[in-house]
Amino acid sequence: MRNRFFQDEFKILFLILFFLLYISFLGQYSAGGGRFNEQILRHLIHIVVGIGLMQAAHMINLRYWKNSAYIFYAVVLFSLIVVEILGIVKLGAQRWINLYFFAFQPSEPMKIALILALARYYSVLSPLETADVKRHVFPFLLTVTPAILICKQPDLGTAGLLVCVGIGMMFLAGFPWKIFVAIAGSCATLCPFGWFFLHDYQRNRILTFLNPDNDPLGTGYHILQSKIAIGSGGAFGRGLLEGTQSSLNFLPEKNTDFIFAMAAEEWGFFGSLFIIALFLALCGYFFWTASKARSDFAKFVCYGIGMLTFLHVFVNIAMAIGLFPIVGIPLPFLSYGGSSMITFAIGCGLAMSALGRRK
Amino acid sequence: MFNRNPKDEVKFRAKIVILTTIGLSAVLIANLFRLQIIEANKYELLSKKNRIRVSPILPKRGRIITSDGKIVARNAYRYKLLMERCKGKNFQENIEFLNSRVKLEESDLARIANSRKKRLPLILIKDELTWDEYCRLSMILFKINGAFIEKAYAREYPMAFEFAHIVGHVSKNKNDPSILIGKTGIEAELNDLLFGKIGNVQTEVNSVGRKVRIIDSQAPIDGSDVTLTIDSRLQKYVCDVLSHEKAGACVVLDISNGEVLAMASTPSFDPNLLAGKMTRDQWNAIANDPLFPLLNRAIDCSYPPGSIFKIIVAFAALSEGVISPNDKIFCGGGVKLEDRTLHCWNRGGHGYMNLSDALIFSCDCYFFELARRLGINAIAKYAEKFGYGSKTDLELSSENVGLVPSKSWKLLRRGTSWKPYETLIVGIGQGSLLATLTQSAVMFGKIFTGDYDFSPTLIKGERKERVKNPIDSKLLEIIKEALRRVCLYGTASGSCLTDYGIFGKTGSSQVRTIKTNEAGKDQKLFQWERRDHAFFVGCAPYKNPKYVVAVFVEHGGGGASVAAPIARKIFDKLMEK
Repeated sequence: MRNRFFQDEFKILFLILFFLLYISFLGQYSAGGGRFNEQILRHLIHIVVGIGLMQAAHMINLRYWKNSAYIFYAVVLFSLIVVEILGIVKLGAQRWINLYFFAFQPSEPMKIALILALARYYSVLSPLETADVKRHVFPFLLTVTPAILICKQPDLGTAGLLVCVGIGMMFLAGFPWKIFVAIAGSCATLCPFGWFFLHDYQRNRILTFLNPDNDPLGTGYHILQSKIAIGSGGAFGRGLLEGTQSSLNFLPEKNTDFIFAMAAEEWGFFGSLFIIALFLALCGYFFWTASKARSDFAKFVCYGIGMLTFLHVFVNIAMAIGLFPIVGIPLPFLSYGGSSMITFAIGCGLAMSALGRRK
Repeated sequence: MFNRNPKDEVKFRAKIVILTTIGLSAVLIANLFRLQIIEANKYELLSKKNRIRVSPILPKRGRIITSDGKIVARNAYRYKLLMERCKGKNFQENIEFLNSRVKLEESDLARIANSRKKRLPLILIKDELTWDEYCRLSMILFKINGAFIEKAYAREYPMAFEFAHIVGHVSKNKNDPSILIGKTGIEAELNDLLFGKIGNVQTEVNSVGRKVRIIDSQAPIDGSDVTLTIDSRLQKYVCDVLSHEKAGACVVLDISNGEVLAMASTPSFDPNLLAGKMTRDQWNAIANDPLFPLLNRAIDCSYPPGSIFKIIVAFAALSEGVISPNDKIFCGGGVKLEDRTLHCWNRGGHGYMNLSDALIFSCDCYFFELARRLGINAIAKYAEKFGYGSKTDLELSSENVGLVPSKSWKLLRRGTSWKPYETLIVGIGQGSLLATLTQSAVMFGKIFTGDYDFSPTLIKGERKERVKNPIDSKLLEIIKEALRRVCLYGTASGSCLTDYGIFGKTGSSQVRTIKTNEAGKDQKLFQWERRDHAFFVGCAPYKNPKYVVAVFVEHGGGGASVAAPIARKIFDKLMEK
C-alpha cells in the first residue's frame, strides 16, 4: 500500500483537521472584516504549507526522527541563541528570526524538538532506570535550557508551556512519585518569590488578571473586552461577520490570541462547545495513536504532541475567558501565524508517522 | 500504586494525563456556560454600551414675540468647525491647512492640543465661525477627511436693552454647552415650553469612537413660540422716556384683562452678551455697575411706597368705620407722640382736612390720625387684601414680595415690641413697609376694576374667566373721586391735568431720617443717593378707566415733580392710539 496518506486510521484525523481548518478559515475571514485580504491569503498559504509539511513529516520514517532527534534539538537551540543575539524585535519582544521569506519564531519548532529529544531519551531507558531520579537530570536540562532562552525574549507563556510539556513527559516516563509530589509542593510554596523576577508588564498582566475591573481601559481592557465578546455571544451567537466586538475593533488581537473570543461571539456557546470538542477529539486522537504505537519512541512522541496541543488549547481559551493571565499562546490551527501552523502540522505528521510504523 | 508492573506504569500515568485533560476541559466548558448562558444578558448590555452612542438632536428653541408681532428673542445659527480624530501626521497637516484658511487663535490651538491628548473622538477646531469664514471653509472642506461644520443654535435678542429684564437670557448648560437653558426672565420661567423636546440618534461606533452607522433616531420636537402682552412700540417709548433718569422703572397695565403693556427698568444691559461669548471685562462692567443694571426695578426691588399707601389707609378707615368721609382732622404741620414729633411734609400745616382733601394734598397728619385709630393690624389686613406683601402672580418668579409689617413680624424678626409711632409712619407708607412698583400698580388695578383678585400677566393667551371678588363700590367711589382731584388740583395737578382725565397719586419715600434743618429744602440740592424715591401711579381715562401707569424714579426727589410728568407722557402716548 504505497499511498498511506489516506489509510483508514487517518480518516478520523483528516475529518477533525478538515473541520478545524474550515473554522480557522471562517475565523480569519471574519476577523479580516469579510474581505479577502492579504492576511487571509497568507493564512491559506500557511494551511497549504502546513498540509505539505504534515505529509512530509508523515513520509519520513520515525526511525530517522529518532536518530536525528538530538541534532534537530541542537539546531533549534542554536537558532534560539541566534535570536537572542540578532533577532527581530516585534511587539516589544525578540522572538523572530528573519528567513528572508518569512519571519520565523524558533521557539515554535523548539516544542517539537523538545518532545522528540525527550522521547528519544526516554525510549532507550528501561522502566527500572526511569525510577532513578538521576536519570531525569538530563531531560530536565533539555527542558530548562530553551525555556530560559525563551523566557529572556521575553515570552513567559511559551517558556512556561515548554516547561509544562517537559514535566508532562518526565511524569509519563516514570519520574518517581514521591519526588514529583515533593517538587510540586515546594514549587507552589516558592511561587510568590518568582514575582521579583518578572518584567513590569508581566506583573501588570497578573495583577490585572486577578482584578480586571481595576483598570478597564488599561491592561484590563483585553480581558474585559474578550469576556464581553464571549458573553454577548449567548447560546447561538450573532452569526458569521456579525460580531460587533470584533468588527468594531473592541476585541484586541482578534485574529491571533483572541480568535476564540471572536468565534465564541459569532457562533455562541454551542459553537465554542463544538470547537472545544474538536480539539478534545484531536488530543484524544493523539493519545489513541500513542496507545497504538508499537515503539516507545513513537508512544512518547504522540503523548507529547497530545499534551502540547491540549496545553495550547487550554491556556488560550482560559485566557480568553479570564481564567488565566494574558500570555501569548496561540490556539492551534485557528490563530493566524505560520510558525504555530507548521508546528502543529508537523505534530500531526509525526502522529501519523507513528501509526504508519505499525505496519 | 508503586508496585505495579513497570510496563504498565506508563499506561497508568497516561490515564492520569488524560483524566487531567478531561477535568480541565470541563472547567473551560463550565466557565463558557457561565459566561454565555447564565451571564449572557449582562455581557450583551456591556457590548451595547461599548458600541452604541446616544447623541442628542437639539430642538429649535421657541421665539418670544411681542403682542404687536415684533420678535424679541430668536435663534441664529452658530457654525462650529469640527474634526474627527486621525493619525498624528495627517492631523498636523490638517490643522496647518485649516489655519491657513481661517485664523486659529492661540486659545483654539491650545484647546485642540488638549482635546487630542485626551483622545476625544471629535475635536472642536473653531467655534462661532463668521459668515465669511463659513463660506470660505465650505468650499475647501471636502479636501480634509473627517472635518465638517456643525450648525448649532445661538440666541439673539433684537431689542436687547428694552426687553432685557422681561425676556431675560439663556446660557449654555455646564455639562453640554450646545444646550441653551433659560437663566432669567421669561426665558427661564417658560423654559420647558420654549425648549421643546430633545430628540436623539443612536449610532454604532467603533473602538476609537468613529461612527459606523445609524441604528435608530428620534426627531426632536421644537419649542413653542411665546407671545408677550408687551407692546414693543409702547415699551420702546417708555424706555426712551425713562432713559433720562439715572435709575427707575415703569409698569403699564391694561386693567380690562390684566395684561402688562410695558414694563421697563433703567439702567438696562445687553442680554446678547450674557447669552453668548462675553469677555471678563464686559461681565465686570455689568456686575460691578453701582446702579445694578441686572435688577428689574419694577419687580425685583421693594421700597417704601410712600404716599401711595395712603389710599389703602383711607379705604381701611372708611371700611372699618373709624372715620366718615366728611369728618375733619386738623393738621398743624406735625403730631406729637410720646417723646417724638412726627412732621407733615408741609411744615406749615394743612389746617382742617377731610378724607378727600387729605388724599388730594397728601396730608401726613390726617393719615397719622387714621393710622392711630386703625392700629397696625387693621392696616396690614387691608394692605394684604390689596396685594401688598405677596407676589402679583406675574410670570416672573424673581419678583420681590415686599413687606407688610405687623406686631408679630416685629417681635419675630427684630425681637423688639411694636412701638405706637411705627403705626403712624406705616400709615403714610414709610418705615418698614416695603412694596414693589408693580404691587402698587396692581393695587390701582384692584381699585379700578373693583376686584380684589385682579392680577397681571405677561403672556398672551386666554385668561380664565372667574368670579369677581368685589370691593365695596360705594367706598371706592369716594377714593376714586379723590384720586381724580389729585390730578385736577392736588399734588399731581402740575403735570397730570388732561382732557381725558387721569386718576393718580404721587408718592415720595424717604431714604433716611430728615434732619430738622433740611425740611422743605429742594431735593435737588442733596446728593443723588440721599434724595427721596419718587413714585406716581395713575389710571386713565376718566370715562371707563383702562390703563394703569406706575412710575418709579430712584432717588428722583418728589413724586409730583419727577414721576408724575413721566407718567403723563406715557398716558398721552396711550391715549393717542
